[in-house]
Amino acid sequence: MKKIISILILVGGIGLGAFTIQSCSTSAMVQAKSGAQLWGENCKRCHNVASPSDYSDVQWDVIGTHMRLRANLTADEMRKIVEFLQSAN
Amino acid sequence: MKALKHLLVVPLVLAFLISPAQDSKKAKAKLSPLPGTTRMLITGSAWFGYQGILNNTTDTDVTSNFNDYGFSPVFLWKLSDRLFFESEVEIGAGEFELEFAKLSYMVNDYITIGAGRMLTPFGAYGERWEPNFVEKFPNSPMETSTGSHLHRGAIMGVDVRGGLPLGSVKMNYVVFISNGPILDQSNGMVQYENLLEENNNNKELGGRIGILPFSNSSLEIGFSYKRGIAGNQGDSVYKDVAASAFAIDWNYVNDISAIKSTITFRGQYNSLSVDDAIYPVDESSKAAGTYTFDNKQTLYFAQLSLRPSLVGNKFFKNLELSFRLNGLTDPQDAAWGAKDKNGKGGTVTRTDLGLTYWLSWKTSLRTAYVSTAMPDDSNTNEFLVSFVYGL
Repeated sequence: MKKIISILILVGGIGLGAFTIQSCSTSAMVQAKSGAQLWGENCKRCHNVASPSDYSDVQWDVIGTHMRLRANLTADEMRKIVEFLQSAN
Repeated sequence: MKALKHLLVVPLVLAFLISPAQDSKKAKAKLSPLPGTTRMLITGSAWFGYQGILNNTTDTDVTSNFNDYGFSPVFLWKLSDRLFFESEVEIGAGEFELEFAKLSYMVNDYITIGAGRMLTPFGAYGERWEPNFVEKFPNSPMETSTGSHLHRGAIMGVDVRGGLPLGSVKMNYVVFISNGPILDQSNGMVQYENLLEENNNNKELGGRIGILPFSNSSLEIGFSYKRGIAGNQGDSVYKDVAASAFAIDWNYVNDISAIKSTITFRGQYNSLSVDDAIYPVDESSKAAGTYTFDNKQTLYFAQLSLRPSLVGNKFFKNLELSFRLNGLTDPQDAAWGAKDKNGKGGTVTRTDLGLTYWLSWKTSLRTAYVSTAMPDDSNTNEFLVSFVYGL
């Protein structure tokens, strides 16, 4: 009986998780945010905000990936922020 | 426990179910960087500190000491669009330690799998606010004296993590499996600093869920949980003794134009609970037999910072005033921990009042007045200074 319940939890969890993740979407207001705005909102949550000129394009690409993993930024946020920093440095 | 294991399995299965369809050639290309295309960055910080003890001293005590130094390089490698390696080495106060060395594979926009030695994904302080260029004080929040590492630490294991947009709200998650806590079977202390050695076959499971309820990301609230067997493998008395912990963390950062300042209010509350067990009475007490106790610890910090970042004056806009309250409550009847005058476990309270001048976004001169009150009514007051250079 326990095994059946475990399997049901597993299957249900996978189904619910898949549905949730496939349903992930941003509102129009969030979608419209620029890289500059996301840079201002997200980086300062933990530390002071670096200037775009502090690093090169390649370095911002590396830092963006690092911060996506460390701060669990969404992939879309990370892409917009890195594109902004690369365009502004 | 089984349900918890399934929670870990779910994201792993999901990773392969909903990963974007991709042909094997394309995947191989993304996993195999061409020579000369690996992207690497070395960053980190160096620091130097001074401590002045202001009370509770005798003529023979050293009260003025340049007591802290260190250098902590962080190595970041973007090996391909999907593979990332990060590591930090800390060299300080005569010690050399590999803080973390972790390889991550980004399955898709929502799921990343990591493996290696990593900062414990429990609470927010250890992963987010502990780096020297992020911390606003010359010291860290109070930690337990028993090695339970509730605010920070590192594990050996595997994690799955990601960030999810949910309309105007965001959510992020981490689940992990790792070498687990180790119980000191002589006194009930649990230590979490697990390296390569493990004392049983059970692995610790845990994770954190973070919710950002506002569209401007100004507030994040996190909920963490972890549990693992801490007793020695096969030991008839302790093999089922488990340790579990939960934490709530919060972080609010916003510009308040009315006071021309940025305020930060953040903190973390942790609770650690070890299953009931019997322990031998210390031989030195000349008493025979065993005893047991309610093996629970709580630890917290809450800090408020104010930086007049919106004023025009360059000097004042780089100043930051911070206040932090720390508390640790050890088990009442344990043979260890801070004791009151009756020999019972009590609460240690520490208050930190800090003033920092930011020379750049990650270089700063920090000062703090630190007052620690012990449960036996004794107290210590210190003055700390630290210069942190962001590299």
